Amino acid sequence: MKGFSTLILLLALIAFLSLLLGEVRLSLADLWQGLTTGEGPGALTLRVLRGPRVATAMAAGAAFGLSGAVFQMLLRNPLAAPDVMGFNAGAGLAVILALAFGLMLPMALIAALGGLLAALLVGLISWQPGRSEPALVMILVGLGIGFTASGLATFFLLTLTDAEASEARRWIIGSLAARSWNHAAQITVIAGVLGLLLAVQLRALACLELGPVLAQGLGLSVEAAKRKLLATAVLLAAGAVAVAGPVPFVALMAGPLGIGLTGARQPAARLLAAAGAGALILTGADLLSRSLWQGVQLPVGVMTGLLGAPWLMWLLTRAFGKVES
Amino acid sequence: MTSSALQAQGLGLGYGARRVIDGLDMDLPAGKVTAILGPNGCGKSTLLHAMARLIPLQAGHILLEGQDMARMAPKTLARRLAILPQAPLVPPGILVADLVRRGRAPWRGLLEPWNAAHAQVCDQALAAVGLTDLAQEPLESLSGGQRQRAWIALVLAQATPVLLLDEPTTWLDLPHQMEILGLLRRLNRDNGTTVISVLHDLNLAARFSDHLILLGPRGLVAAGAPDAVITETHLLEAFALAARVLPDPVSGTPMVCPL
Repeated sequence: MKGFSTLILLLALIAFLSLLLGEVRLSLADLWQGLTTGEGPGALTLRVLRGPRVATAMAAGAAFGLSGAVFQMLLRNPLAAPDVMGFNAGAGLAVILALAFGLMLPMALIAALGGLLAALLVGLISWQPGRSEPALVMILVGLGIGFTASGLATFFLLTLTDAEASEARRWIIGSLAARSWNHAAQITVIAGVLGLLLAVQLRALACLELGPVLAQGLGLSVEAAKRKLLATAVLLAAGAVAVAGPVPFVALMAGPLGIGLTGARQPAARLLAAAGAGALILTGADLLSRSLWQGVQLPVGVMTGLLGAPWLMWLLTRAFGKVES
Repeated sequence: MTSSALQAQGLGLGYGARRVIDGLDMDLPAGKVTAILGPNGCGKSTLLHAMARLIPLQAGHILLEGQDMARMAPKTLARRLAILPQAPLVPPGILVADLVRRGRAPWRGLLEPWNAAHAQVCDQALAAVGLTDLAQEPLESLSGGQRQRAWIALVLAQATPVLLLDEPTTWLDLPHQMEILGLLRRLNRDNGTTVISVLHDLNLAARFSDHLILLGPRGLVAAGAPDAVITETHLLEAFALAARVLPDPVSGTPMVCPL
């Protein structure tokens, strides 16, 4: 467990910097005053501006991280994650369709539902018992659904007014601007409950890692267990999307980063590491996106996209290198 | 008179419309080492998978210690019969001891914590395969033979009276094949575990088994003691192989010498 101290230290450091830095730079004295007396610029930043934003980023990042790690462990492929497998694009498309057709529902709910629908579609199209490469088929179907949804989203984006389009953009890219404690509480509760559900399924996950034959030999109902785990992972992603928008690449990157930092081996430790790394990536990317260029507040999704795209390309070159060797 | 560990009655197996095995009746003795032999594509592995209830039966029944397997709960079955597949997946970075612990899955309640009794079973399994000293090593760092012994320790930790193995010696060189087959026979002699393996090497199978099942392209060719099964006529029927069968100079069991 010694590897986890690095991860925890990094998380604390990033959280601390996130509270200090941004459009308005706080001094340590301001922060201390805000914490102890509840007054001054530090208090306002903690309570209203950055506190809820950092808390939301932490919990949503952890949810994304858990979701991606479950996908990667089940499908045994580092390319697997809800964000690259159509979930994000589905969330974005749903929001744009809702705006285009004047559907009056909370955008967060629509985004989450769109993601869930995309995931369901991927599952329905790729599920077929006895397939030789089920994981790869699922990943490729996910990519295909993602491209289709993005294409449709772009098409319907053209039909929106400027105001609607700028609201839609937040739900295509993902952003942590203007988060309240309600958002932080919402995702903390959702991630907590789903995290407990995952904990109950850890032994099933440990059996599934040994391959379907051995898992069934150990008394597991393989297909049912897989479906339950994937459903939990998809709901975690949906919960995170509802507060942060479909931020790309956090779910994809969290698992490998967490395992790399901690050296975790067992499923429970790997999931914890992925949750921590997801929180680290999302909070860190948010910090960068609002402090890198003075006066410019980029949506966090742009930053994770900039970080994640090279990672994805590296994974792809490695994946295809392996096939040829 | 020995009792049966597994019995097949009128067994039909296949994929879709393609029947691989049809009308098979077979009796595998309890407390013995049995090898299932036959040419590629004759349905050996399919038969083994059916005996672990991994594929649906198209016809007939399989009885495990006299009870119809189809009606058993998954956990009940997993406490009575274990299967080691040909190519199980290696979880990244897993330690040998952690791999073996996973064999206890069917014996643990949902929220039941790990306890000393489970740990003892795992220690015994590791000791039985001679990997006690390597327990804290990553599985990936082990040699092929050691790795196969680690997988056997996992199914031993499952503590079942019946153990099925799908080609446990494939990928291994001859000394390691001998080592694995010797280990399986020792486990059988020490604990009375029924060991049933799909094997390719006829001579090693004859040497290390009490009972052989020989399948051919048209189903069961012969079943029984090695002397009765490995004969020139049976080899011709199962493999279309012309061969002489001589007594093995070391063990006296039948030895195949292809012509």
